[in-house]
Amino acid sequence: MSLVLYDYALDENCYKVRLLLSILGVPHETVAIDMFPGSEHRGPAFLALNPRGTLPALFADGLLLTGAEAILAYLAERFDESGTWLPADPAAFGAVLSWLHFAVDELSAAARARAHAMTDAPADEAAVVAAARAALRLMDDHMTKREFSGGRFFVGETPTIADLALFPAFALSRDYGIDHDEFPALRRWIRRVRAVSGFLTMPGIPDYH
Amino acid sequence: MSAGWYPLALADGIEPGTSAGTQLFGKELVVWRDAGGAAHVWEDRCPHRGMRLSFGFVRGDRIACLYHGWQFDGAGQCRAIPAHPHLDVPETIKVATYRVAERAGVIWAADAHTEAPEPAARDALTPIRSLYVDRPVAAVRAALAGAGFPGADGAPLPFAGDAGGLLAFGAPEPVLFAALQPFAAGRTALHILAVGAPAAEDRVALAGAAEVLRRALEGASALAEAAA
Ligand code: FES
Repeated sequence: MSLVLYDYALDENCYKVRLLLSILGVPHETVAIDMFPGSEHRGPAFLALNPRGTLPALFADGLLLTGAEAILAYLAERFDESGTWLPADPAAFGAVLSWLHFAVDELSAAARARAHAMTDAPADEAAVVAAARAALRLMDDHMTKREFSGGRFFVGETPTIADLALFPAFALSRDYGIDHDEFPALRRWIRRVRAVSGFLTMPGIPDYH
Repeated sequence: MSAGWYPLALADGIEPGTSAGTQLFGKELVVWRDAGGAAHVWEDRCPHRGMRLSFGFVRGDRIACLYHGWQFDGAGQCRAIPAHPHLDVPETIKVATYRVAERAGVIWAADAHTEAPEPAARDALTPIRSLYVDRPVAAVRAALAGAGFPGADGAPLPFAGDAGGLLAFGAPEPVLFAALQPFAAGRTALHILAVGAPAAEDRVALAGAAEVLRRALEGASALAEAAA
């Protein structure tokens, strides 16, 4: 078996994949790509490997996988013996996929707001921050209601890849100017995610020493 | 901060050993609960370099700053500076603190020298949620007094007066209370509690009604016009 993750340490999508690899204890190799300021992911060498020019990219026994959420699903399907990170039950499976879609769609505003704040990537700052805040509100509304029946994670009784796909946008929200003050249910939720065995931090997500 | 007591959070929502940032009239405050369960409200600024203490972490009966780990006890007094482990920390390194009261399921704070009476106790309330709305507190209040609170079944719960800092809704007896926090200019937090012990699905319905209220207050609707 060979797994090679093309990775950029400051990228929240790469972080999602690093999180699951660590949680599931999957041995792998990492190749660092200098996304900023080097733009190495747009250079000929990387494009020859991944024509999309996107990170993260995972080579699994030669198979190229792109898109953090797709990679999460692949890793869960292949390596999660507990079967809980991507549950097979149709209702739970559908709910996890809905949140993965949310992470790619609505939360792209958070990724753009953060890239704009940290690397000056072009964006309509007010618009992307407002869209990210609206998305975080939906997440807080969801977790608020989940908690009434003892729900601790976005879907089901245990953490799923949905939690990992949603985690960075909130955990890193201060990078793009959104405080945690207005999201009490998400504050409680990220503490639960942090307590998952195998959890890793990244720059911007402190380690409480 | 003006005289009087202000609601900052639902008491249940601040778990022991955790901290949260909030604002009152635009001033940043940290609300934290020590491992023993006591709640504290302070200015949200580390005396060292001004980092928000709410970004830090609670250890036992102290909160530690995220930047350089200075630790503060429940009175706001700095007790440890990791870079100088043998230093006897001067008494002058202290965070400004507020008075705190936990009443009616809400954490309230007042100026350290307040003479205002503490908020009234009220039993048998169940927390629903804190709702953050981009509208000034006076407008939220006026809208709620006029239109009531959206009910779980769609029919509004009529406004039933102000009971010791809590707005009451429902007739003939109140079934819902809301405490209004003047968060910042143009922003209000509502801390919402239900009377009695509603079942989980009723709490979900009331939390959903609060989302309806937020949309109405912020959007183009009769309630927003009443709030204008
Ligand atoms: S800023 Fe708080 S310890 Fe340095």
